Amino acid sequence: MKIKKSQPDGNMIRLLAILAAFIFIAGITKPALFMQLGNFQSIGKQLAEYGLMALGIGVCMISGGIDLSAVYIANLCGISAGLLMQKMIPAGGSNPGAMFLSIAAAIVIGALCGAFNGFLVSKLNIPAMLATLGTYQLYMGIAVVITNGSTVSGLPSAYTALGTALVAKVPLAFLIFLLAVLILSFIMQKTIFGTRVYLVGTNPKSARFSGIRNSSILIRTYMISGIVAAIAGLVSLARINSAKADFGSSYTMQCILIVVLGGVNPNGGFGKISGVAVAVVILQVLSSYLNMFPDISNYFRDLIWGVALIAVLIINHVIAKRRIAKLDSV
Amino acid sequence: MSDIILSVNGIKKSFGGVHALRGVDINIKRGETHCLAGENGSGKSTIIKVISGVYKPDAGNITIDGSEYSEMTPQEAIRSGIQVIYQDFSIFPNLSVIENLAFNQVLANKQKLVNRKEFRKVAEEAVEKIHFSVDLDARVETLPVADKQLIAISRALLDNAKLIIMDEPTTALTKNEVGRLFEIIEDLKKNGVTILFVSHKLEEVFELSDTITIFRNGENVISMPTSEINEEKFTYYMTGRKFDKEEPKAARMFSEVVLEAKNLSAPGFEDVNFKLHKGEILGVTGQLGSGRTELSLALFGMLKKTAGETLIEGKEVDISSVQIAQKNGLALVPEDRLTEGLFLPQSIIRNITVSKLGKLAGKMGIISEKTLEEESSDWVGDIGVATKDHTLPVQTLSGGNQQKVVLARWLSMSPRVLILNGPTVGVDIGAKYDIHRLLRELALQGMAIIVVSDDVSEVLATCDNVIVMQGGRVTGYISGQDLNTDSLAQAIQ
Amino acid sequence: MKYFDQLKKQSEFYVFLIIILLGIIIQMRSGLFFTNNNLLDIARSMIVPSIYAICAFLAFLSTGPDVSFPLIAALSSYIAIDVTTKMGYAGPVIVTFIIGIFFGMLMGALNGFIIVRYKFPSLIVTLGTSTIYSGLLLGAFEAQRMDLPENLADFGRTSLMTVVNQKSGLGSTLPMTFLIMAGLYILTYLVLNFTMTGRGVYALGGDEVSAERAGFNVKQIRFGIFLINGAIAAIGGLCYSIMSMRYLPTEFAGGEMIVIAAVILGGTRMTGGVGTLKGCILGTLLLTMVSNSLILAGVAVIWQRVFIGMIIIIGTAVSALQGRSSAKVSHKPRKEAA
Repeated sequence: MKIKKSQPDGNMIRLLAILAAFIFIAGITKPALFMQLGNFQSIGKQLAEYGLMALGIGVCMISGGIDLSAVYIANLCGISAGLLMQKMIPAGGSNPGAMFLSIAAAIVIGALCGAFNGFLVSKLNIPAMLATLGTYQLYMGIAVVITNGSTVSGLPSAYTALGTALVAKVPLAFLIFLLAVLILSFIMQKTIFGTRVYLVGTNPKSARFSGIRNSSILIRTYMISGIVAAIAGLVSLARINSAKADFGSSYTMQCILIVVLGGVNPNGGFGKISGVAVAVVILQVLSSYLNMFPDISNYFRDLIWGVALIAVLIINHVIAKRRIAKLDSV
Repeated sequence: MSDIILSVNGIKKSFGGVHALRGVDINIKRGETHCLAGENGSGKSTIIKVISGVYKPDAGNITIDGSEYSEMTPQEAIRSGIQVIYQDFSIFPNLSVIENLAFNQVLANKQKLVNRKEFRKVAEEAVEKIHFSVDLDARVETLPVADKQLIAISRALLDNAKLIIMDEPTTALTKNEVGRLFEIIEDLKKNGVTILFVSHKLEEVFELSDTITIFRNGENVISMPTSEINEEKFTYYMTGRKFDKEEPKAARMFSEVVLEAKNLSAPGFEDVNFKLHKGEILGVTGQLGSGRTELSLALFGMLKKTAGETLIEGKEVDISSVQIAQKNGLALVPEDRLTEGLFLPQSIIRNITVSKLGKLAGKMGIISEKTLEEESSDWVGDIGVATKDHTLPVQTLSGGNQQKVVLARWLSMSPRVLILNGPTVGVDIGAKYDIHRLLRELALQGMAIIVVSDDVSEVLATCDNVIVMQGGRVTGYISGQDLNTDSLAQAIQ
Repeated sequence: MKYFDQLKKQSEFYVFLIIILLGIIIQMRSGLFFTNNNLLDIARSMIVPSIYAICAFLAFLSTGPDVSFPLIAALSSYIAIDVTTKMGYAGPVIVTFIIGIFFGMLMGALNGFIIVRYKFPSLIVTLGTSTIYSGLLLGAFEAQRMDLPENLADFGRTSLMTVVNQKSGLGSTLPMTFLIMAGLYILTYLVLNFTMTGRGVYALGGDEVSAERAGFNVKQIRFGIFLINGAIAAIGGLCYSIMSMRYLPTEFAGGEMIVIAAVILGGTRMTGGVGTLKGCILGTLLLTMVSNSLILAGVAVIWQRVFIGMIIIIGTAVSALQGRSSAKVSHKPRKEAA
């Protein structure tokens, strides 16, 4: 059997082309504002929060599900870390140990929330959309209770400094995002676990017959989403120096759109983390570009985004149809 | 009034390059029972869909009772008196029996409003025709399969159907239900209804049909009175090759017990005892509902046992999960490869290597594409999967090749015991013989095999000994020398 | 006896029991639940969510999730109110509604077209169009808070019924929009149960292939559903603005989740084909009770969401355990090379 060289990923190429096109247009029309280090740094910093959540939701979608609770896990974790730091670190003071502990606690909480999601989906067989709809209310509710409805703020400056920190001129937040992309990409593409996630997402019944432990895979999948959401919450906490139970409610839908635009099949089984990452960058570039036109409202981005999604879906559909027709004649 | 109720001429149909029908002619005489036979992919399902209006032909025409059509719509077909009963019965599981029965007619009459009294009358009339008693208000999803089929038939008769087309009508029925169906068909015949049924089962062809038409590769190979055909000719026309009839196996002796079940019970069967030896192929046969599938699932850890024990090479093992079954050298090729065995849109490579990922991966669970490709490549060659490119989705393969992929997957695990449930269902004759040959070879090499099947010829060709199940219990055991068509047929009664 | 047996099989029955139970508990703890003003308050709070529930219901019944109705409501009511105000129109309210319905249907048509033509998952498509409508509303039109034109304001002030609780002195009114909601439900009920097109919606949701074979025009029906959803969403949006006595563009987004939860709790299957309007009302009633009346039982407001979350989780878990959420006819995928 001759081993065919892996074909370049068509979807990825299209995404990169779109990104290149946007950067080109932006560079030409607003060179002074856009082609600045400061601008790119800002892009990198801002995309980290929802970008991380999009990665988590992407993994869940590949497994055949979805995570509508990601944003609220992020909020809950950010709030928890914030409250812990408030308790342990006196105002104006600093305590790296406590900070570290708070961060760790937030991630653990994220993992637990995710595991609960995974449990509902795999052991109780609740459809993912409904399960995470319930847990989104639950996690938000818990967040409201522990904050008494108010905002957590007043964090140690050492922590908020992280929000603006630069490493070799690259925002720390963006590096965290990049790291997450690399790690998740590796996990999904190169490990047994990742392959099994794809298969469970394609056909859970066949997965069981082939020896895969679906519940173990799914619980871990949603835990990944929970952990990544927790990190997103921590990044957000550092950047805005506050955390609220209902922050970012529009992020969920936005992330789902990003994930689908990035090439993940909403029915499960297909899609690449790298594609989602590029889609995240495209969105932020678009956002930042539009920001440079004071007359154009930010909301225009939504308009373009929605149209882009539908357009990309249609284009992918037409291309896939042509490919199948060619296969039929093999 | 002409003799011929339906004739199709020169029908061609392609799907993106695949020629499903290459210029097909059929003539169906009024009042006859006509069988349409052919392998998977021969075009028999496609021509049915053209006749019933679901597909529009690329060329050719259809003549019904003298009226010629160059294309059809489902509603027009119904109005011309053609009713099709598909394999899935085309029912609405979420609606009542009444609505399932009445809708076709109401829609064909272009009625806009719902009149429940009228619907009920229509429904009552329909079930009367075949003396079918059923709770008309029941939601269809709660009814057994045989009832669903009778609903489909009743519905077909409503409109004074001239021609009823049945697609593989006995696939999902138990023997009793098949008998009932045959009676109904006889009744319909007496009432002058023309029937066209699609089947690949020889027994049905001989029992029911007056005329037989055989398709191969999108063409009508031959049409002849059933009285003039025999098994040999049947196989020859279906496949274009002559096959020597499979020799029943020579009786063999076995010594080492690999798998033993003692008073094994699980949802679907109880108190099953058997011993499986190294190198033996044990058949498990019985009708639908006999518990044979549940037995295979329990042995593989998909179903939790409620009583009894399973011993593997003498040691008791509680096979409570698929992972435990796998670890102990058990493998199962499931009944429905499309929904239980395969990951259709995924590559052939992935489908073959899925169960062996743990063993094929390197340190820390890292997978190398190359390793997977090599493994898959080896198996594709060894087992004879007809494909040029194993990175293609497995859904591009034919049924027989797909089944080989599932087989390859489990053989790559070097199992001690290989269980197969319906190994050659929906598989063309060539692949069927290949698979049987492979099983016999594997047994000779020492693998212990269980074949769960209701295909008599398959059981005879592969099995050394046979367990017969009925109603969840083992009702018979036929060993080597006593194994033949008659003893089997009798036992399954 | 047969009736009772049938009743037991429906999940709507259990939701009804839970509602009664909850009502009794709240009554015991506060004595204020079964009072005329409280009941009227609940009825009033239910009006808009119930209207939206029809959209979610029809979508699930035939196709899948539709999350665009809040934004369709927002955009279509904006246009209707804006046009009415700018034209200085002071005639019957129905005209404003018609404008809103027209644009609502236009937006619904886009949903319907894409979903029917390309068969993309409805969740994703309606998510995409929802974003487009949001962008149009807040970006292109830069919608702001608006006062209601006179005709709508008057309509909003008219009440259907007013009650005053003798003991507590608290009063409550039921606005005219309640009639609109009731009317929509009656109309939907009639169409779904007494026309073949309506039965076609159920048929299509039960088994699309069979529906086609039976002779239903599946494409038309599905397109029609999304078209109607657009109209109903528009009506809901206008009712909402009327009842709040002003238009605020930012209040609409996010409302879809609770409505979907209510509809599912009320027994509608996510996979289609099964569900009743009374279930929608019951589900909406349950969630409205939790939001409105729990506080009477002494449950602090901040615990509401936790409560709602638990109800959804437990409700869907029970449904799933009974095997209700996923029974669907699986057509053997004909995925073998022909």
